[in-house]
Amino acid sequence: MRRKISSIALNVLLLMLGVITVYPFVWMLCSSFKKNSEIMALEQHLLPQEFILDNYVNMNAHFNFLRFFVNSLVITLVVTVLVVYTSTLCGFVLSKYRFKGRNLIFGFVLSTMMVPWCVTIIPKYSMIQSFGWMDSYKALIIPAMFSGFGIFMMKQHIASLPDEILEAARIDGANEFYIFQRIVFPMAKNGISSIAIFQFLWTWEDFLWPYLVINTQEKQLLAVGLKMFNGQYSTDYGALFAATAISIIPVLLIYLFFQKQFIAGIAASAVKG
Amino acid sequence: MFKKSHPLQSKSEIILRNIVVAAMVIFFSVFLIIPIGIAFAGSFHEWNPLSGTYNFLGLENYKQVFTSALFGKSMLNTLIFSVVVIIFRVGLGLGIAYAIYSTLVKYKSFFRAVYYMPVVTPMVAVAFVWKFMYNPQIGTVNQIFGLDVNWLMNPKTALLAVMIMTIWKDFGYAVVMYMAGLYSLPADALEAARVDGANAWQTFRYVTLPLLKPMTLFVVINSIIAYIQAYVQILIMTEGGPGTATYLASYIIYDEAFVKYNFGYASALSFVLFVITAVFSWLSFRVSGTEE
Amino acid sequence: MKKRMIAAMMAATLAVIGLTGCGGSSDNKAADDTAKVEVPTEPFGDTIKYDPTVEINDGKDISVELWEWGSDDLFQQVIDGYTAIHPNVSIKLVNNPWEDYWTKLPLALDGENGPAIFNIHNSYHENLINYLAPLDIPVEDLQADFTGVDAHVIDGNVYYIDYGMMTGSVYYNKAMWEAAGLTEADIPKTWDEMREVAKKLTIKDGDKLIQAGLNFNDDFHQNYLLGLNYQLGENLFLEDGKTPNVNSDAMKQIMQMLVDMYEVDGVGSKDFGEKGSDSFGQGQSAMVIQWGHYYNTLKTTWSNIDFGVFEIPTFDGNPYAYNRYNGESTFGVNKNAPADQQAVAQDFIKYFLANDDAQIAFNLAMSTFPAKKSLADNEQILANPSLKVLSEHIDHYIWPGPMPATVETSLKKAGEDIFFNGVDIDTALNEAQENIIKDMKNSSFVSVENLYAYAK
Repeated sequence: MRRKISSIALNVLLLMLGVITVYPFVWMLCSSFKKNSEIMALEQHLLPQEFILDNYVNMNAHFNFLRFFVNSLVITLVVTVLVVYTSTLCGFVLSKYRFKGRNLIFGFVLSTMMVPWCVTIIPKYSMIQSFGWMDSYKALIIPAMFSGFGIFMMKQHIASLPDEILEAARIDGANEFYIFQRIVFPMAKNGISSIAIFQFLWTWEDFLWPYLVINTQEKQLLAVGLKMFNGQYSTDYGALFAATAISIIPVLLIYLFFQKQFIAGIAASAVKG
Repeated sequence: MFKKSHPLQSKSEIILRNIVVAAMVIFFSVFLIIPIGIAFAGSFHEWNPLSGTYNFLGLENYKQVFTSALFGKSMLNTLIFSVVVIIFRVGLGLGIAYAIYSTLVKYKSFFRAVYYMPVVTPMVAVAFVWKFMYNPQIGTVNQIFGLDVNWLMNPKTALLAVMIMTIWKDFGYAVVMYMAGLYSLPADALEAARVDGANAWQTFRYVTLPLLKPMTLFVVINSIIAYIQAYVQILIMTEGGPGTATYLASYIIYDEAFVKYNFGYASALSFVLFVITAVFSWLSFRVSGTEE
Repeated sequence: MKKRMIAAMMAATLAVIGLTGCGGSSDNKAADDTAKVEVPTEPFGDTIKYDPTVEINDGKDISVELWEWGSDDLFQQVIDGYTAIHPNVSIKLVNNPWEDYWTKLPLALDGENGPAIFNIHNSYHENLINYLAPLDIPVEDLQADFTGVDAHVIDGNVYYIDYGMMTGSVYYNKAMWEAAGLTEADIPKTWDEMREVAKKLTIKDGDKLIQAGLNFNDDFHQNYLLGLNYQLGENLFLEDGKTPNVNSDAMKQIMQMLVDMYEVDGVGSKDFGEKGSDSFGQGQSAMVIQWGHYYNTLKTTWSNIDFGVFEIPTFDGNPYAYNRYNGESTFGVNKNAPADQQAVAQDFIKYFLANDDAQIAFNLAMSTFPAKKSLADNEQILANPSLKVLSEHIDHYIWPGPMPATVETSLKKAGEDIFFNGVDIDTALNEAQENIIKDMKNSSFVSVENLYAYAK
């Protein structure tokens, strides 16, 4: 009986917290179907009094938001795949091979995580300029190919994989590339999903860097696009909320589909600190 | 852990290792070490890309950093901001994760997904939404709680309001982290505690919590790094106002670098922040007493 | 299982939203593109004449970029008109939102592939001036056709001018005006009258404000502090044109008046309405002083508000100048662009200046008073009430020059410090003064207040 009461109480509490968490989203979604005058009206109602789709329709007419969306999706997927691959590879080498300077390199990788964006962003910007990479996706992809965080997570994760399987493969005459592709990679799938989700999210929402290096509007990314509703004299809230609603979806879907592996991956990587 | 690795290094292993190590070294040199070097050199210069100035100043920029009242104030704000947000993030994260983890709660993945929603939403977007919700006349916050507070313009509440938003956005991250931690707890340790007659609280306090320490450390350090660099919410919600009440260190850097184009001064500020981040991260390692 | 279902549902909702979101847009554009563009064959313009028969780039194909932050349609119209005359030229419009524009344009101009033509806002003058080529239209011709050109002459060259002048006027809610028993005759001429009217327009329930008579939240610095000083005969910069004058007695007097209006008269409150402009639109505030762009905001976002406009009050009816104005600028030419692109850019700007339709369209779109002299009594222009109230004294407004942004932001900080952080007026304004001096240390800005037609 007591157990039942505390179970109900706990569930209710969590549900209330859930409502608080979700409420801003609901509000935003509802507002995205309102006119700007209704969004800012004194009399506030959660549900649109006058239901309109203009914000979704006009959004695209104005900035080609769909294009931003596709650009973001492509860039984010490319960066995520690259980072997952390089992190797993580096993680494998750093955890399963023993060589001189290994700890030095790993310590160095760890310390890269501590460098604030502001230290490197100005010089990186000038470098991109002198490489002639401005306004090209090279500027978004190449400097993001390796991730200190990813390498760190994957090193921890792969270290927990049993050596015996690798040894067995070696005895069978498999070379290291084969071992990595066919054995380590599949076995590290939980770690990979957690890195993938983190990296996807970061790339998806990163806004300062693409905002600095991409000029042509057709090439622009979504997170930057969200700021475009902030005009010289006013902000187009309706369109902004519509755009935000759309921008959240992919990350949410990816998370929902991979959350089990995600959590298992974090468990395997971070806890072994 | 220190099991002897295979004794013979095959040719393919050496090739793979060399490629990987070379790639890492080259990459991090080009996109990290060299930029840091350039920024470090720049921090001793008057450096403005628009007017094309790059004049040696010596320690002038650093002198300005340390005598700037605004920087001092913003560091204090950053400290308050980081400490409060981290405490709530960790506390809420741990509490909620433990609740979901317990056998008392059904629909675990539902809750997990709900709490994680703000984490996967771009900061730019949620900051706009919250700015609206804090509006003194038409904002949801005042309407629901029947308050009459000018959240973002009152110096007593402005930073608090930004902190609440940040906690809301980020606590889900800690929830998921701790869930991961809890699921990988060794079952035998918990079982042993139960057999020894420990009650739920004692088990939590003396078994679960210590076992979660690496995860706590992970979350705390990640948070320190993230919050010392936080500026997007300030940029959108308060622009540092009212007056300079909500200036955070990173916001000044953003302002100096990309609004005023004082690259030299901004670089000096960045290095000071870099050192502070490193010190705090190191301190948390020390406090937790964990090696590596 | 459950989570998959949630995910699937979300995906479905999304797909629906996505479909509706992207369906409508593409077709309207195609329709616009084929719009009838009349191709002039005779030279047109006042002193600056544009001759459409002269070939550009020897008739060879050329493509240039034009960067702007505003409404694409407006620019596209001018581009279409121009490319109809010169089919060998293609002008690619690149739109960046306001804030991004100023981060990116200077950096783009610093590189090799900057746009040949770009829209200018004079508040960013210093970031751009080093990249600008002088206009190849004789300065006398510009002066003959446009007002305010003198302020743009640098060493005998002009790099850009204003096509329109924007400034502040009082917007009032007609329904509230009537409800308070006020008539046309009550329209205030002086600040004292203004304060009395504001009191009548204020409605309170005990201590709680229901309707503000006047609201200047979030824009007091723009619309009051930087401008009313002229009514008191005080410039924003001292005689050297470089030292700010924001802690002057005039500025203190204005600041004090603002504080008194809220705290003594009680016609509004710092916490009532986050922004005066929104509060007026929400029907919570009876009067606001806003610049010309507000007219468009009211027309689009707040179309249910019935409003009137009147000229800004003065202290004594005979001010040195009524207010500050700011120019909306013409385009600039990138001096680092290839010569053939620059030639197109120069020609395009000439076309823009000579073309009355373009001038009217731009001024109406921005609610700016035309700088082109021949348009000062244009019917279309005077049909806009926010422009009509300016027409009588438009020569009594001062442009201080392209002030660095710090003047505005520092005064905003000062005002916030006074209203919200309990700082006293003297301290706050002194601090603003110091901040501006510090931020302007390397600035090449020199005030052009002395070029005002009625300068003392």
